[in-house]
Amino acid sequence: MSAEVVAIASTDLAAIQASQMGMKAIGAGLAVGLTGVGTGVAEMGIGAAAVGAIAENKDFFGLGLLFTVIPETIVIFGLVVGLLLLF
Amino acid sequence: MLKPKQMSRLLIAASKDQMAPVVAELYRHHLFHVEEYVEGGTEGYEGFKIGSPLTGASEASVALLSIRAIENAVSINPEEMDPVRAGTQSELKARIERELPALEREVEELSGKRSKLDNRVKECEQKITEITPFVGVPADLEMYRGYSGFSVYAGYVAHEVTLAVPHEMHYLKGKEKNFVVLVAPTAQRNEVERALQEASYQSVPIPDETGAPEARVGYYQGQIAALTREITEINAKLDAVKQQHAGFLAACEEFLRAEVEQTEVPLRFATTRQTFVAEGWVPSDTVDAVSDSLIKATGGKVFVTVLPSDPEHDSVPVEYSNPKFAQPAQMLMDIYSRPKYTEIDPTLMLAIVFPVFFGLIVGDVGYGLIFLALYVGLKRMMKGEDGQKLLTVFRNASISSIIFGLLFNEFLGFKFSQITGWILGTGGLVNPLEHYESLMFSRHLLIGSTEVGGHGPAIPALMIMAIWIGILHISLGRALGMYNHAKQDHGLHRIKAVVANFGWLAVMWGILIAIWSNVVMPYMFDLTGLPVIAAGFNLGTFIGGALILGGVICIAWDSVLEVIELPTIISHVLSYARLVAVGLSSVAIAMVVNYMAIGMFISPGMADLSPVGIVMIVVGLVIFLFGHTLNIALGLLGGGLHSIRLHYVEFFTKFYKGGGKRYVPFGIKRRFTED
Repeated sequence: MSAEVVAIASTDLAAIQASQMGMKAIGAGLAVGLTGVGTGVAEMGIGAAAVGAIAENKDFFGLGLLFTVIPETIVIFGLVVGLLLLF
Repeated sequence: MLKPKQMSRLLIAASKDQMAPVVAELYRHHLFHVEEYVEGGTEGYEGFKIGSPLTGASEASVALLSIRAIENAVSINPEEMDPVRAGTQSELKARIERELPALEREVEELSGKRSKLDNRVKECEQKITEITPFVGVPADLEMYRGYSGFSVYAGYVAHEVTLAVPHEMHYLKGKEKNFVVLVAPTAQRNEVERALQEASYQSVPIPDETGAPEARVGYYQGQIAALTREITEINAKLDAVKQQHAGFLAACEEFLRAEVEQTEVPLRFATTRQTFVAEGWVPSDTVDAVSDSLIKATGGKVFVTVLPSDPEHDSVPVEYSNPKFAQPAQMLMDIYSRPKYTEIDPTLMLAIVFPVFFGLIVGDVGYGLIFLALYVGLKRMMKGEDGQKLLTVFRNASISSIIFGLLFNEFLGFKFSQITGWILGTGGLVNPLEHYESLMFSRHLLIGSTEVGGHGPAIPALMIMAIWIGILHISLGRALGMYNHAKQDHGLHRIKAVVANFGWLAVMWGILIAIWSNVVMPYMFDLTGLPVIAAGFNLGTFIGGALILGGVICIAWDSVLEVIELPTIISHVLSYARLVAVGLSSVAIAMVVNYMAIGMFISPGMADLSPVGIVMIVVGLVIFLFGHTLNIALGLLGGGLHSIRLHYVEFFTKFYKGGGKRYVPFGIKRRFTED
């Protein structure tokens, strides 16, 4: 009787642990995915404007690149959070 | 090193008859950055006028134009040619007079002919498109014209047309559009047109041709083939001209460009009726050489002197002064902005740190070797100077990737022990690398690993390493910022700016000390053991708090608005986590590709060498190649862009202004001619 209870309890525990791991993975995925979308949205406008400016004046390339990659930090944060969640 | 080359302001004055030798000598030295004379307003230059070109300017310009036209026609680009000496200038001058007109005539004739033929090909193609709709109709083209009582309609319709009036019609059902040809009495025009309109009729012009449509299309196709043959012949002739004269043309262009530049430079000098004055900049260590040779060339009839200069108000042209290995990185600096004359030139730091960052991100011996092979291949193809510099930077980055690959124990996503195991394992030899893990924190993930208790990447350790790099890099940037402001600014502003930079440093380190005093983190200082002072917080927390507060006050003293930028301290430091994050994602892709290719296809295929097994091996190989090619492209983009971004955004914004004037010495680097 008691052995059965222990067995059920341990399978339950394993199931809970597995589901927690799954939740973590979902969280990590959301962190990377949503921040990626955020970065994309932010870079969209900057990138278009930067390309326009570079078309007018090639010297703007360095500065344009700089402005375009500024929102990239957002997705890096997402990646960091994701990695910390998983490991 | 760390400073642009020192410049001196040179003033050259002589009588006008010495202008030609002075200009030639300056041009030969290729050192004198001409300061353009602007009429009016310049103190001490009252009554001076802008000079007029030397004799021969317009002739040289005309000849240069015709050379460039020829080069265009035969598509020669001197920039992309290997430098060959085609002869001395006097030889070239003679050859230009002798050979150029004939060559020009020949090329002009050929390219004129070619464009005429091109036009005729286009005409024929136009005819073919006009006739093509009629090809399916069994009627000769002259049948569509010349009726007095009938009208001919030809065009596309949406569906078949039904007519009550007597008519002759041919309907062709097509894939997208249906073609109809219709002849009906002109008297019933209204009825016919109404019926056609219902079928949404789009008229097609009837070609002005005779004979069967197929035959006409065939005829024009034959014409095009013949014309194309002629064009190919002309192209071959132009190519022959290119082969034969490329060196000569490039040398001519260089020679004439030199001529034009020399004859037109007086337009940038100040002149009076009898004399001229040229001002400009030369590197300080060449002043003596330049002035001596000027005096020699004019027989002493020139006055050369160094003017006092004020580096802050004069716009001094900036030339880099770096050790040889750091010079290619100047290109990366120019993409951002050239340093100002008075500020620190960070090229050397960029040249060292950029490859390190790149290596940290890529960190794979296999990819590093592939990058090196790419470098060797591209070096032959790229001819421009900027391209070569970029490639040298790329080479350094590749070597750094190999070094970090050794430290990370990575080869195309495998461990070395796996590779040596495969090579030596079949021979039954001992695997010497079996126990080599890695000298740095491992980045190997547990993808497809069946090893029980195998440990994954050392993420926390790697993250902290990246954060440390960020802290040190940013601290260096702030320290340089303090130095730059101390050097460049004056008075109260200077003190404020230096203090503000110190404030940023203090806030950053204050935050760090406060964190260390409360949390134990691997590979970081542990200050939790300090004596507790009040409210459960220890000494370190208070020191940290005091630093933060003091720092904020320092920043606010310079500019209150800057205080809202405080969160960037954390975001900039954390931004260095990309060194690990981007690298890990590249390792993950490599390992997934390896697992898919080998674990899922090649190994099962090898186990069973049936036709299915062989197909599986081939599929596995395709996945392997495609996946790694993709990862190489991503690695190049990620490694290069993120490394340079960490410099541009996180490092340079702390101290670097840029916006210096480029040093463009008067003269050219001769590649095809001799002095």
